[in-house]
This record gives sequence, structure tokens and C-alpha cells, in this order.
Amino acid sequence: MLEVRDLHVKFHNRDREAVAGVSFKLNDGEILGLVGESGSGKSVTAMSIAGLLPRKKCSYQGEVLVDGEDMLHAKRALLRKVQGNKIGVVFQEPMSAMDPLMKVGRQVEEVLAIHTDLSAEERKKRAIQALTDVELPDPEAVYDKYPHELSGGMLQRSMIAAAIVSRPSLLLLDEPTTALDVTIQAQILKLLKKLNRKHKISMLFISHNLNVVRKLCSRVIVMQRGVIVEDGLTYNVFFKPQHPYTQHLIECIPARVKLIARRSMEEENASVDGDQAAGEAGKAETAVSSRQAGNTVKAGGEHYD
Amino acid sequence: MKYVVRRILALIITMIMVSFLAFAAFHIISGDPARAILGMNATESQLKVLRQEMGLDKPFMVQYLNWLIGFFTGNLGISYSYRQPVSELIAPKLKVTLLMVLISFVIIIVCSVPLGLRAAQKSRGRLEWLRTTIIQLCMAVPAFFLSILVSYVFGIIFKFFTPGDFPKIEKDLAGAVKYLFFAAVCIAIPRIAMAVRMLKSTLIEEMEKDYVRTAISRGNDRTEVLKKHVLKNSLVPTITFLGQTMAEIVGGSIVVEQVFGIPGMGRFLVASISNRDYPVVEALVVILAFWVILSGTLADLINQKIDPRLKLGGRA
Ligand SMILES: Nc1ncnc2c1ncn2[C@@H]1O[C@H](COP(=O)(O)OP(=O)(O)O)[C@@H](O)[C@H]1O
Ligand SMILES: [Mg+2]
Repeated sequence: MLEVRDLHVKFHNRDREAVAGVSFKLNDGEILGLVGESGSGKSVTAMSIAGLLPRKKCSYQGEVLVDGEDMLHAKRALLRKVQGNKIGVVFQEPMSAMDPLMKVGRQVEEVLAIHTDLSAEERKKRAIQALTDVELPDPEAVYDKYPHELSGGMLQRSMIAAAIVSRPSLLLLDEPTTALDVTIQAQILKLLKKLNRKHKISMLFISHNLNVVRKLCSRVIVMQRGVIVEDGLTYNVFFKPQHPYTQHLIECIPARVKLIARRSMEEENASVDGDQAAGEAGKAETAVSSRQAGNTVKAGGEHYD
Repeated sequence: MKYVVRRILALIITMIMVSFLAFAAFHIISGDPARAILGMNATESQLKVLRQEMGLDKPFMVQYLNWLIGFFTGNLGISYSYRQPVSELIAPKLKVTLLMVLISFVIIIVCSVPLGLRAAQKSRGRLEWLRTTIIQLCMAVPAFFLSILVSYVFGIIFKFFTPGDFPKIEKDLAGAVKYLFFAAVCIAIPRIAMAVRMLKSTLIEEMEKDYVRTAISRGNDRTEVLKKHVLKNSLVPTITFLGQTMAEIVGGSIVVEQVFGIPGMGRFLVASISNRDYPVVEALVVILAFWVILSGTLADLINQKIDPRLKLGGRA
């Protein structure tokens, strides 16, 4: 599905390579986690995959193969055919990632307007379906709202809807929950897991927080200063970290949270967990105040921070 | 809807305040209007009669209200120097200036929008220094100098129009428009330069925003991003700027009218000031102030249509 081979990216105005020889594979239907402190090159890696590198401002080498086609050196025209169509991207700040003057619905269906010949009606139907898929309460209303009228959590759900509306095979999630508060974060993670199962979308989930990643991803890559220092099954990385940097990351997680993590990961291996809680929580989230909802709804009693 | 009502209410209140200040100021500086009209040789009884006739014996607030009502009903008082109703004197000059300002405004919009777009697209090109220099030059050149240059080159050398011989609008509209066009260009050039610079920096700033990256990640090319997202987002500051321009070019027209010999409001204002023809000056000052306030309000109302966030009173 996705294979990155010896990726190097160096910005002209920097001394050090932002990404210095990164290689990994993402299998069909997998959710791969990418962790590392800020500045370690996670976003640049994701941008290289999505064809969003500012090509004039940097030099780059290696290969980014999406279904066998190299995205890193692809012509703009080819890139555009893949962008949005085969690869969806969700960014950290939902508020600034959306056009403030375009209604949410129009932004959700933008991909369809670019890549398909669907009529306006059909596009709207698909957009509302996508908004329903991300468990937004009252998707028809959301369709006609401007971004400033929605809460951060609802916006991020809409961004996810916009990214999956064209049924891409790969979803790049660059710290999609970092800007959200803890309860909303938990709901979004559950939603992503559900979408992954339901639509078989492969995901690259980026976070600086190992504990967030372990809830969602079966496999984790740890990056430091532009290189991968650890790559393995989440359980192993979490409990038998090999590299000192990973050990350091794990030391930063409070013991209580680690205990919860261990218990839930062991349970996870044994049984398929029910996702109803996330659905209910999604409905409790309102445009007026996501924070209020956050206080009253406890998603699974767990904390992700 | 509520926003529109609020904005128009604010407009009316501002206008009343401005007109009150203007009235009070002229009340103080103009001294005794009866004396000004009748001259130094008038007897005390003659003056008294006229004062009564003009309502000058009434309390200040009553005088103001009468004047305000008169202003909105077209009764602007009598000119000292022409002994004619101010409204009759002003109307034809207002028409000329308004026409010139509108032509100028159209030129500004028609030129600055495409130029601003190109300037933003080419901002990293090799000829950037040249473009910047031209813009700076156009901004710096004074309107009177441009007017002299244009009337010499296009009027005297190429004979597109005859400087000093302004055709009457009623008789020869096409000729008048042609004449005004050259004056309007002189008003427009510095403004176009400013608009281009402003538009360029706004567009470049917008292109750096996160939502542009989102749009590109969906498969848009840069032109599409510009058309679909960036232009609309750049519109609010642009309209605000154009609103200011609308207000300021009236001021700019005063000098240009002088050089071109256009019988407009500007020239009339200057003449009336030197004649101490206070009723005329007062009326013109208030009309100018209303024009400025109106332009701003109009820009705000349009912006509010474009950006729904402004309805919340965020950046009004
Ligand atoms: N547009 C850019 N120009 C110059 N340097 C950049 C740019 N984008 C990222 N970098 C640099 O690349 C390195 C990796 O950044 P990034 O991938 O954003 O880190 P993160 O892991 O926090 O996402 C950082 O040192 C950052 O300063
Ligand atoms: Mg980042």
C-alpha cells in the first residue's frame, strides 16, 4: 500500500536534515503510529507522502511509493490525481485547516467536485453520508454551517469526513487530536478505529504522545531527529522498548496511566471491544459547547494524555 | 438582518453628530450672517428684520434643528456671495464631481484587481524590484503633478480634450465623460498603486494560511485554490480599502479639478472658503463628511455579507 524508502528531506534554510533516511511500510488496512517529540520530522514525512512538500524550499531524495507509484518525484498533475482521491489528510488545527468563509458541507464535498463527475445533488448526498459516518449529530445542519459555528471536535470530525468522502485507501492523520481536549480526543480515536474497520482505510497516525498512539495503532514507529529509532508492535514498543529514546518517552508516562494501558491492551488482545460508547459520546457533543459535553461524558473512563 | 439595522442606526447617529459639530463650528466662526449678507452699511433695524427672517434670534438648538431639517429637504440656506439658494449652486457641481469620482473608482477597481493578482503570483519573479519601484513611484507622485502632465500630454499634444474647456454634461455627456476620464486617471493612479500593493500582500498572506494546504491536499492546483478559497478570503480587507478609497478620492479630486479646470465641488469649495461663503462651505463640509461615513458603512455592509463572522461583531 505505502512504502517509504530511504527518505531524505533537507530544507535549504536549515543545517540539519529534517528527515534523514526514513524507511517503513504500511500494509493494507493497517493503522501505523508515528511518534516522536516535536521537530523530529513526523510532519515532514507525512507531507512527503501527501505530496505537500514545498519543493522549491527543500531538497529531497528517496522514494514514497503509494500503490507502487512514486509520490516524491511525481509531476504535479499526477500528484493532484492522487491527492484527496487516494490519500486523505487530516491536520492538527481543524479551525485553521478549514476555509473560514466556505460552508462545511462544501468543503467536505470539495474532493468529489475535483475528482468525480457527480452532480451537485449526488455530491451533497455523499457529503452528508460522510458527515453521518463520522457520527456528527444532525449532519444536514452541519452541512450548512460555517466553521466558526462548530466546536473543535465537530470540526475535526468534519475534516475527517472531508478526507474520507472519496473513500481514499490511505488516511494521513497529523496530530489530529492534539488540539482537542481529552474527552473529545478519546471519541475521535474510537471513531478512527471504527472507520478503519468499516471502510478498510489504512492510516498513518502521527502524534507526539506515545500513549495516544498505543490506543489506536497495532504498530508504532518512533522517530527522533529525522531518523527512525524504533519500529515494532505497539505492545512490544510500549513494554519492551529497545532504544534509550523510546525508554525515555515511556518514562514520561505516569505509572497509573501505564497500568491502565497494560490492562486495556491485554484485554484488547483477548476480545473485540464495543464501540457504542463513542457513538453516544459523539451525540453528546454540541456546537454550543464541546467543553461542557466533555465534562459530562466520560468515554470509557480513560484518559489520553 | 439585525446587523444591517444596527449598522444603519450607527450611520445615522454618526451623521447627526458630525452635522452638529459642523453646525456648531460654523455658528462660532461665521459671526453674524445678517451682517455678512447686508454688508457694513446696513442699519440695526434692517439687520434685526433679516435675523428674524433667518431664524437667527431663536435658541441655538432650534436653529440647528431647522438647519438639519433644511439639509435633508434640500434647503441649505442662501449663499452670501451669490445671493442664491446653496442647493441650486451646489447641485450641478456635485453632479460633475460625482461623475468624475465614479469614473475614477471604476478605473481603480478594473486596474488594481488583475494587477494585484499578477503581482501576487509573480512576487518571487526576477523583475520584482522593477515592479516594486513602479508601485512606489506611482504612490509617491503628487496628483497635481500628474494632472499637469496628463493635461499637457493628452490635452495639448494629442488633443484628446481641450484643457480648460469643459463641456456641459447636459449638452455633451460623451465629451464631458471623456474630459473627466483624464482627470479621473490622475486621481486613480496613486490609488491603484496602493491597492495593488495592498492586494498583493493580502493575497500572499492568505496563500500561507493552513486552509490552502488543506485545499492542495484535496487535489486543487494553485490557481484553483486562488479562485475557490483565497480570493474570497482576501476580499474583506480589499473592500475595506476600497471603501476608504471611495471616501478619499473626493478629497483628491479638489486639486485635480483645479488643474483641469473642472467646475466641480472641489473648485467651488476652495472658492467659497476664500469668499468666506459659510453656508456653502458648511453644506459642502457636511456633504463630504456624509460621503465618507457612507462609504465606510457600505464597505462594512458588503463585508458582513462576505464574512459571516463579522456579524458577531468580531472585526466590524
Ligand atoms: N517549511 C519549513 N521550512 C524550514 N524548516 C522546516 C519546514 N518545515 C519543517 N521544518 C523543519 O523540519 C524539522 C522537522 O519538522 P516537523 O516534521 O514539522 O516536526 P514534527 O515531528 O514536530 O512534525 C524541524 O526542525 C523543522 O524546523
Ligand atoms: Mg508536526
